Amino acid sequence: MSDKISRRDFLKLAGVGAATTAVLTGCGPAARLVQREPYTKMPEYTYNGLSTYYATTCRECSAGCGLIARTYQGRAIKVEGNPNNPVNLGKTCARGQATLEGLYNPQRVRGPIKHSRGQSLYGSDNQNVESNMSWDDAIQVVADALSKNQPNEIAFLMGMAPDHLFDLITDLTKAINAPAPIRFGALGMFEARTTLMQAANDLLGQSGLPFFDIGNADLVFSFGANFLETWLSPVAQTRGYSSLRRRNPNQRGYFVQFEARMSQTGAKADEWIPITPGTEGLVALALGSLMVTASGASLPAAYSNVDVNSIANVSGVTLDTLKRLANMFAGSAHPLAISGGAALGQSNGLQTAEAVLTLNALVNNIGKDGGVFLSPLAPLADEYHRPASIREMDDFVAKLQSGSIKVLFVHGVNPLFELPKSIALRDAFKNVPQIVSFATFPDETAVQADYIFPDKHGLESWGYQKVAAGAGSSTLSGAQPVVSGVYTADGAVPQIFYDARATADVLLAAAQKAGGTLASALKFKDELEYIQSQLKGLLGNTDGFFSAAEINTFTAYFQQNGGWWKTSDDRVAPSASNALNKTFNATPAQFVGDGELYFVPFVEPVMAEAGANKPWLQEIPDPTTTVVWNSWVEINPDTAAQLGVDNDDVVLISSDAGSVEASVYKYPAIRPDTIAMPFGQGHTAYGQFAQGRGVNPFDLLSNATNEAGDLAFASMKVSIKKTGKKRQLSRLEGVIGVYENFGQQP
Amino acid sequence: MIKSFFNALNQPLGRVGVLIVFLALLSGAVWGIAQTQKTPQQPIDFPHNIHVGVLKIPCLYCHPGALRGPSPGLPTITKCWGCHQQLDITKTSPKLVPLVQAVQNNTPLQWVPVMWIPDFVHFVHRPHIAAGLNCETCHGDVSKMTVYQTPQVINMGWCLNCHRSKTEDNAQNNPTNDPAVAASLAEERIKLTDCSTCHY
Amino acid sequence: MANDLNSPVKMNMSQDAQGKWGMVIDQDLCTGCQACVAACSMENNVPFVGEVDAGYGRNMQWIRIERFWSGSFPDIKMTSYQPVMCQQCHKAPCEPVCPVYASVHSESEDLNLQVYNRCIGTRYCANNCPYQARTFNWRDYQDARQRPELVTLQNHLNPDVTVRRRGVMEKCTFCIQRIRHTEDTAESENREIRDGEVVPACAQACPASAITFGRIDDPTTQVSQAAVTSRAGHLLEDLGTIPHVTYLAGGA
Repeated sequence: MSDKISRRDFLKLAGVGAATTAVLTGCGPAARLVQREPYTKMPEYTYNGLSTYYATTCRECSAGCGLIARTYQGRAIKVEGNPNNPVNLGKTCARGQATLEGLYNPQRVRGPIKHSRGQSLYGSDNQNVESNMSWDDAIQVVADALSKNQPNEIAFLMGMAPDHLFDLITDLTKAINAPAPIRFGALGMFEARTTLMQAANDLLGQSGLPFFDIGNADLVFSFGANFLETWLSPVAQTRGYSSLRRRNPNQRGYFVQFEARMSQTGAKADEWIPITPGTEGLVALALGSLMVTASGASLPAAYSNVDVNSIANVSGVTLDTLKRLANMFAGSAHPLAISGGAALGQSNGLQTAEAVLTLNALVNNIGKDGGVFLSPLAPLADEYHRPASIREMDDFVAKLQSGSIKVLFVHGVNPLFELPKSIALRDAFKNVPQIVSFATFPDETAVQADYIFPDKHGLESWGYQKVAAGAGSSTLSGAQPVVSGVYTADGAVPQIFYDARATADVLLAAAQKAGGTLASALKFKDELEYIQSQLKGLLGNTDGFFSAAEINTFTAYFQQNGGWWKTSDDRVAPSASNALNKTFNATPAQFVGDGELYFVPFVEPVMAEAGANKPWLQEIPDPTTTVVWNSWVEINPDTAAQLGVDNDDVVLISSDAGSVEASVYKYPAIRPDTIAMPFGQGHTAYGQFAQGRGVNPFDLLSNATNEAGDLAFASMKVSIKKTGKKRQLSRLEGVIGVYENFGQQP
Repeated sequence: MIKSFFNALNQPLGRVGVLIVFLALLSGAVWGIAQTQKTPQQPIDFPHNIHVGVLKIPCLYCHPGALRGPSPGLPTITKCWGCHQQLDITKTSPKLVPLVQAVQNNTPLQWVPVMWIPDFVHFVHRPHIAAGLNCETCHGDVSKMTVYQTPQVINMGWCLNCHRSKTEDNAQNNPTNDPAVAASLAEERIKLTDCSTCHY
Repeated sequence: MANDLNSPVKMNMSQDAQGKWGMVIDQDLCTGCQACVAACSMENNVPFVGEVDAGYGRNMQWIRIERFWSGSFPDIKMTSYQPVMCQQCHKAPCEPVCPVYASVHSESEDLNLQVYNRCIGTRYCANNCPYQARTFNWRDYQDARQRPELVTLQNHLNPDVTVRRRGVMEKCTFCIQRIRHTEDTAESENREIRDGEVVPACAQACPASAITFGRIDDPTTQVSQAAVTSRAGHLLEDLGTIPHVTYLAGGA
């Protein structure tokens, strides 16, 4: 007899056990574990079991798309595009969809916090640091900072969105004669807004952000512009792309992309021309020159110095191809050339922007449908206040470094992550005695601040945003809170979990406490009253889709419709009379460093600069490589073979400015002399989903700029070394073989 | 070792032991079932019989959501208070202390659902009311209840029985034996017995 | 319509309506921006699984955007982005293999259903799906007791869609909760559903308007009109599954 239990005995025992369990647990509903709490007072317009919808504005990037948020019993459930908002006409991008994961993010700043610099805002168990001061004390801190420092010792650094808070802080700094707030964002830097505006100013004699009318064109030549990804107003431009392809049922619009690494936008092109980085402007000049030559006209000044043969050599585009493309451009009814992306992030970026604008002037499409306009000025805006260029940021950081700034307020931007490491902001912070961050999330900059006074999330906030790009009509997107906050379920009475307060409210209250000119200049009860005081400028204006004579009526419509916009076509048609008269030297780009490979950083299209703390955006595959949750470096398979590296091998990439390690992704659509890395990962803070994941390609960049002062982010030459380590990238596309240790650091 | 345990169970004393264990489990089970069938404790012993039976307040006055959408809803305390603040009994009755306190502290009353369906069932009241069903068809005659008790076990068979009987081509649903009515009944029947009507 | 599964089936939706709800995806317009993926996940309470499980191919997204390469550098092209979700086959291979009738056909809507409360997780259906459209809950991804980060994140769960547990198969439903909601609204207003009134989350978000949705048994609807083009085709058409998603080829 063995001691082993027989199968039959086991079944008997198991049967008895299962029957008992079934009898004891299988009866009666789980209902008595549930409790239902009705509202104490039912909010207006709310019905049990039915959703309530609010119109507001997306704050994920500065495009200012209108949203309709669906709420259900006090919670925000889903956002959709606002079908009436001229920017997005009812559509959203992936980032906009994931905005709820920001609102309900497990790592937000819990409340006003005084903390020592460098200390994390959440523990290793991912529990947020509790608030350790009251909002009254926080307001006192801000009031003291504003009143006890000299005006020129106060600095404000803000995000890219031209919103009500920017107006408020501009008013505040004017009242005390402090320097105007500086606005900055990594996206604006990648978009090279300063370069685009400078080019428009140089050639068209009018300042403004160019508006490329993709939707009405027949043929689009894009020189590096990633207009379907994160550039300017991606949702509006995608709509334009859609119209380019399908507007005319008999003739599908054609699209050619010039770039060294195939972007998500390039993947949609009919022709993808892999040109040498930094020669985009030269190719544009060659095309123009060939077009004029073919037409038999005399060369305008712009093309007087252009040597087509040498451009064909240096750019790697054959003369035949250039001639064919020039012919195509000249023969199209509505041709359009766009410059952007890595093409402008070169030492000759301004020349490229101007050469491309010249190409448009040559086909006479400036200010015409399917051509180039200047973006309409938003309502209430006197001019378009562009974000700071890197040159201006460099000066700003030098000012911080010099110790002349005693208090720095940071809102809506995470400069420690969004600036190249070679711009030594972290060092400069040491010379600023007091740093106050208004960050909603525990980002790198908040960690280095002395105080964190968290602003509300966009879906909890009032506001408006002056739309800078994308809409054809002058648009002011309006925002209102769709939920009152995030609450915990513990206890009989739910407690607010994220005790955030609108920065505008904090500043207004602080101004009253500070007294003096500040108090009299900013005599507003709260944020809403300030917004209304601004909106008064639109009363009685009959150009809009609604008008009202009285402010409360106006505000009610403004809230209900998610903003105010004109019904007219407000795109500015500048004069192109002098556009062909500027002579170009046709210089190829200068590169920094003596590595053998060109380095092209690009913005991860789904996550962009601030999406890394949203788990969905992390899990959405990159559109071109399908990699999720990490960083990678794209290398042409031939180059990888020469280096002896394969997919998932970790390589060390070094430039003059620094070095990073990343896993290899063999990318077939990149030049063999070029490597590329996405920007968006590599956080050292910013919540559990972002921290310690991937690397930041900004660590490889110098502070070299183009002629307009924008960062020449694609001007590095780097070298690659095999490390012998391997780290598996998780990706959607099939991988052959059995893998282990996904995503773990070797 | 396990084998010897089984041998021990085969001895007379062992069999008595098995019987005792079995009876203990059985009585535990019976007790457990009885517990689940008891009406749960509510924060207030709400007398439906007075409100509906005596005062003749319509169901939809307090549960108006049933007319519009999925959930009938529970009344807010402001709705209770609207009437009760005018009644003297509110101040004196010990049974109403929780309501008075809730109003004073602005806290919600935490009710325990009795008529309960699991999360994977999506039930909408509106079409049921629109189809002419009365509340008491499913919820029983609440004018005779104090604290609400569910009149039947709610399971899928109960739902389907009704969906089937309402769409049967018989003398009650199609008294004139009209082929058009028969066809629409057949279509309704497909619809009302489709899994996707309730499960998604 | 031929019933023989071995004979290729010629399909032209508007003339030979097989089905009720259908979708047309214009691959020429799809820019691969992934807005549909995010919108779908948001609407349908699709969980995220994290880097490790994603590496094993356990992503739960109901819609994925496929892309392939053709040629080699420098004459390389990316094929048109192809969003793939459950094709809602008229003759679905996933249905006959389910031992517990969790994967059943809706007679009234002509959709493939997944009845979560019946599903026991045999995964036969996923095995038999030629489109790889089904995803399986390998863990309790939505359980805040196991994933503390969800305590706040779960606030945005959609109450109209069941939250699935471990061991349950799931897939695209054509946003049936929206179909039901619109039906209910139309019924309460005593009218028929209008064309374009039911919009699934993916179509609503799509910035390029590449996705059209509606009734394919009515030749006048937008979706039926859009399908009448030489660019139209179905995925793995010769399997005879009669999918209800029509793709319009890109690049032309």
